[in-house]
Amino acid sequence: MIGDRTTRMEEQGEGGVIRVRWIPKYTAMERVFHWGHTVTFLALAMTGMILFFPLLRPLAQGEGGYLVRLLHRAMAIAYGTLPLIYIILEPRRAIMSLKSVFKVSRYDIEWIKGMIPYYMFGRHEAMAPQDRFNTGEKLNAVVIILGSVVFAITGLLMWFGKGVLPIGAFQAMVVLHDIAMIVTVCMFIVHFFLAVVHPLMWAGLVSMRFGVTSAAYAQEHHALWYYGPERAEEIYEDKKAVRKAEDQSSVD
Amino acid sequence: MSRVAMLIDESICMGCRGCQVACKQWNDLPGEETYNWGTYENPPDLSPVTWTRIKFTEVEQDGNLQWLFLTEGCLHCGTPACVEVCPTGALKQDPTLGIVTLEPDLCNGCGYCTQFCPFGIPRLDADVLSVEGKAYKCNFCQDRVVNGLPPACVKTCPSGAFDFGDREEMVAKGRSRVERLKQQGFPNANLYGEHEMGGLGRLYVLKERPSLCGLPENPQYPVLADAWQEVLQPLGTLAFGAAALGMLGFWFVARRNIGMEDVE
Repeated sequence: MIGDRTTRMEEQGEGGVIRVRWIPKYTAMERVFHWGHTVTFLALAMTGMILFFPLLRPLAQGEGGYLVRLLHRAMAIAYGTLPLIYIILEPRRAIMSLKSVFKVSRYDIEWIKGMIPYYMFGRHEAMAPQDRFNTGEKLNAVVIILGSVVFAITGLLMWFGKGVLPIGAFQAMVVLHDIAMIVTVCMFIVHFFLAVVHPLMWAGLVSMRFGVTSAAYAQEHHALWYYGPERAEEIYEDKKAVRKAEDQSSVD
Repeated sequence: MSRVAMLIDESICMGCRGCQVACKQWNDLPGEETYNWGTYENPPDLSPVTWTRIKFTEVEQDGNLQWLFLTEGCLHCGTPACVEVCPTGALKQDPTLGIVTLEPDLCNGCGYCTQFCPFGIPRLDADVLSVEGKAYKCNFCQDRVVNGLPPACVKTCPSGAFDFGDREEMVAKGRSRVERLKQQGFPNANLYGEHEMGGLGRLYVLKERPSLCGLPENPQYPVLADAWQEVLQPLGTLAFGAAALGMLGFWFVARRNIGMEDVE
């Protein structure tokens, strides 16, 4: 069967202890950046929603409102400068990651097709080979990056453009800022679920915490990254052939 | 008490600016340094400490000079956009009197009201970096009106250009006044504020078209205020709820179908 334990890199060590081969996935800088961005994103979402939801109105009033608005701006500066600092510290890796995030291939389409069977029903064979970032992570990154650009432009214009900008333009900035907020927060909820809560992706959180992932996990979830494109393609075709044969036999 | 309004007959106003002084005196607002910029109009603009002010407009028509006055200040819309966009509830519309008031204790200086007012009335005193400060505008002398007194500007006006009372009554008075003006040779005379923005709490009898006097000819409720508050806000709440519930449901289904023994 596909995904059988014997094909994995784990070896039974002495006394049946499974020896896991850990391979590096994220650098320390990448992880610091990721978690820094997470913390500032959440702080921004929470302080921003105080002005967005009428229910949270008491928190927006008077002196407390000053604090909320000041925190939102302080966090926004951190949120905006973090990626710039990261790019300066690890320019080559940042560009590599950006390129891979914006690269679309047929595997991405197949990932989207196989998403429900895989994540909902545990059909491992439905998974198209993925790069270091899978399609979901790439989608999350694209939405957050584009959203952040919208946040930065509209936010800076609202902060410094009040009274300078024509009021119609200012109003549009408020609305665009909120649309970006709704889209990115929804994306965050999905990303949180898949990366932290979902049982299949336990290793995602581990690798973002410790920077490493098990070879077995990389083989299954990031075949394109682990094996390289040619070998990954071969394995994927084999998998598909076996699945087809299995489906045939079950029909017969 | 029903909805109140002030009726300002700009054909009677003589531009003495007594209303400006009375407003500052009653609301305890400091004076501003003024300067000569070629007109009697001063201070040059409304500000956090100047809530009402007479605008002087010189218009030349057929070789005749017209000196038009306009007492600027909050127009107390029947459908106030500032109240809808205010995230703190500092801006309120009095349910019986219909006047739009701003409670400084609640204001956090976000300035949305200054950006959504179709007349551009509220003024913001907030610092860009420390973000501290508040918005200010005419409160229709709420403290006087609820106690049965006319607003300070109305009380002080020596020419009798201001009238104050039940809004219906003010509209009727304004209409008859416009008729008189038309008979007297002002064919463009009109009553401003009868229907604009849900009916204004500050009605003007104007000798000329509103645009000549410095008022928007056809003020519109900002579409984006509704798009934001009436569409985007419920939609956002719905989206967050749907995303969270969807993921929760997803988790329950996934938990039943995915055997942890398959997970490396």
